[in-house]
Amino acid sequence: MDLEDDTTVFATLKSFNSFISRPDPPQRLSEQAAAGAGLQMQYKRSMELLEAAEKLHSKNQYLQLDQEKRQMELSHKRARFELEKAASDSARDFEREVDRNQELLGRIKRLEEREAESAKSQSEQVEANRALRKKLEGLTQKLEERDSTLETANQTISALKDEIRELKQKIQNQDATISTQTLENQALEEQLDLQRRKYQEVSQLCQSLQSAQSSCSEHIIKIKELERRLALQEQDVVMVRTMKSEVARVPDMDKELRRLREDNAYLRESRENSSLLKEEVEGLRRKLERMERTKEELVNMELEKEVPSVLVQHCFDCVVLKPEDLSREVIQIQQREIALKEQNYTLTSRVRTVERSQSELQGELAQQRSKALEEQKKRESQDALVRRLQKRVLLLTKERDGMRSILESYDSELAPTEYSPQLTKRLREAEDILQKTQSHHAEMEVADKSTCVYPLFRLKIEDLEAERQRLEEQNSILEMRLERHNLQGDYDPVKTQVLHFKMNPTSVAKQQRQQEVESLREEVIRLREHLRSLQDGGALVHAQDDSSMPGSNLRKQMESSELRNQRLKEVFQRKIQEFRTVCYVLTGYQIDITTENQYRLTSVYAEHMDDSLLFKKGSSGSMQLMETEFSKTLGEMVALHLHHQKSIPAFLSAVTLDLFSRQTAV
Amino acid sequence: MTSTLKGITLKGSAELVAEFFSFGINSILYQRGIYPPETFTRVTQYDMSLQLTTDVKLKNYLTNVVSQLKEWLFECTVQKLVLVITCLETNEVLERWQFDIECDKSAKESSAPREKSIKTIQDEIRSVIRQITATVTFLPLLESACSFDLLVYTDKDLVVPDRWEESGPQIISQSEEVRLRSFTTSIHKVNSMVAYKKTDSV
Repeated sequence: MDLEDDTTVFATLKSFNSFISRPDPPQRLSEQAAAGAGLQMQYKRSMELLEAAEKLHSKNQYLQLDQEKRQMELSHKRARFELEKAASDSARDFEREVDRNQELLGRIKRLEEREAESAKSQSEQVEANRALRKKLEGLTQKLEERDSTLETANQTISALKDEIRELKQKIQNQDATISTQTLENQALEEQLDLQRRKYQEVSQLCQSLQSAQSSCSEHIIKIKELERRLALQEQDVVMVRTMKSEVARVPDMDKELRRLREDNAYLRESRENSSLLKEEVEGLRRKLERMERTKEELVNMELEKEVPSVLVQHCFDCVVLKPEDLSREVIQIQQREIALKEQNYTLTSRVRTVERSQSELQGELAQQRSKALEEQKKRESQDALVRRLQKRVLLLTKERDGMRSILESYDSELAPTEYSPQLTKRLREAEDILQKTQSHHAEMEVADKSTCVYPLFRLKIEDLEAERQRLEEQNSILEMRLERHNLQGDYDPVKTQVLHFKMNPTSVAKQQRQQEVESLREEVIRLREHLRSLQDGGALVHAQDDSSMPGSNLRKQMESSELRNQRLKEVFQRKIQEFRTVCYVLTGYQIDITTENQYRLTSVYAEHMDDSLLFKKGSSGSMQLMETEFSKTLGEMVALHLHHQKSIPAFLSAVTLDLFSRQTAV
Repeated sequence: MTSTLKGITLKGSAELVAEFFSFGINSILYQRGIYPPETFTRVTQYDMSLQLTTDVKLKNYLTNVVSQLKEWLFECTVQKLVLVITCLETNEVLERWQFDIECDKSAKESSAPREKSIKTIQDEIRSVIRQITATVTFLPLLESACSFDLLVYTDKDLVVPDRWEESGPQIISQSEEVRLRSFTTSIHKVNSMVAYKKTDSV
């Protein structure tokens, strides 16, 4: 309703305005016609207008009053509505109250009923009470009787209690005694426990002592065994050494042997030779004897010859037959004699030479025998020396080892335990052992030659040799390792320390590198921040002082250059656009660059949008027309202006004129 | 060289050995390219031409180390001198030139000079330096930037002087070692060896 009022108000206002505005144009028209009566008319009109205005005003007021009335009605209605609401609410409340009332009345009734019931019950109980009281009275009488009896009983009870007290006291006394006794018992038990513990400890100590003693004895036995083994080993070692020395001597001995054998063989040969020679000599002597006998016989013969020579001469004189035979025989005999003499001489010379050689050989023999004897004597003496030395060495080593073992046992045993009396005992024992061994060895020295136990020693020697080789190999390996480590630069920290100059080139270089790296990192961080800020474009928001003068200058330069670039671009764009439009307008062609060196011209008067001419710029700089749909239709003009006249502007202008003529005609 | 003409004393021997170290270290630095070759100048020593550095810092460092080393040689408390070449990028030790020094402790200040001609000692030193130059041919190339350090192995009870500190032995892992020549002045014997890191390409 309000809206309708408003619209009517606005409509009336509008009509009023239109009404006001209407008279103006008619006023203007009639102004020229009626000038004299104008004022009256104007006055009338103004009066009419005023009336109208008053009417309107009154209408407005009426409307306003109407409105107010309506509003009042509305408010009345609202108030009524609210009152109705309130009334309904109060009615509801009233109803509720009524309901409550009814409920309460109901409750009251129930309570009254209950009261009546309780009153009944109460009366019943009162009657019951009376009955009970009667009973009570009877009971009280009984109680009195019992009380009397109780009193007598109490008296007896008290007497009994006294007795009980006495008994309790006795019990307490006994308890006290019992407690004292238990305490004594506990003390005795504790003492027992202590004694038992002591006994256990003592027994443990005894056991430990026994075990220690047994272990000690075992150790002693072990030590003795080890000592024995050590001695044996050292003996073996000594034997090995002697054997080695002997073995070393063996080749020399072999050589000597060979030499002696050769000498012996030679001597034997010489002996044989000498025996042969002796035989020869004997033969020769016999021959000599024979010869002498023959000589004697010859002499005898000669003597006898002299006797018969006369006879012979006689015979010769007598017997003239055979003087030549006789002379021959004589010559033969003489020759025989000469030969025999020669033989004699040669035999005598041979005998002499043989005798000489025999004497020489005998001398040599005697020398060789003496040499052999001497060498044998030397050998024997040296063997004896060697044996004596060996035994002395053995003794010394045994002494030394005994002392060493004693010392080691001292060192090892002194710290944990302090069995000094045992140590002294051991010392004495060891000294006794030493003395015994010394005496034993002295006896052995006195005795001639010790029995050799070579095969066992040999086995031991072999084992020791193998072990020695193994140890040598290990030694060499360890030495190589040591050498390697030494080459690599290893050192014994106990004896050596490694020093270097504090300001050495490596540390200086490292520091410089570090500094460079840090400075580079800082620069990188700074540049990254700079980049980020530039990319965001918010070059104004940099709060840090890191981007100081150079950074801000650069940014400003960047901004200014960018702005300049943009402005230039805009200017160029604008200018280009202007120029192109001017060209289009003046020449009548729109020139576009399609691709490199290709230009498309579209005429202002083109009939279709696609009608265009394509020109290509050749390598020499001349423009050439390319074939297009549109250029095909201009074949005549192409031929005339381009081929014949060779002028592109003429062609273009001809095309423009042609198109223009077509356009304007159409 | 202030060693006496008539034999070698302890002091003279210490000076000879220190001098050898000074020239030897310079040669190694030149040969291995630790410093650019244009920072070296040629000098004549031991009848051969050797390279000596002109870099001032390096010279100072070397004179400091060598003078201290001379003292220790005189006291016979130094056992080894090691030149360690480290790669700066990976901080790995690439080469170790180790010189073992054996000192005859019976030669004291007052004992008589030993009979050994200086010429013989110089010849021995020359052959050692020649061998060092020759070993460079089979050592692996040092491609990255390297720096060197000098370590001295001394007796444990020696007082550490100012400007010196204890260091680790800087041993190369997986190294090949080559023993080089030695020379002796009859009081000090110097054995040289080089250990280098095995390259992966066999």
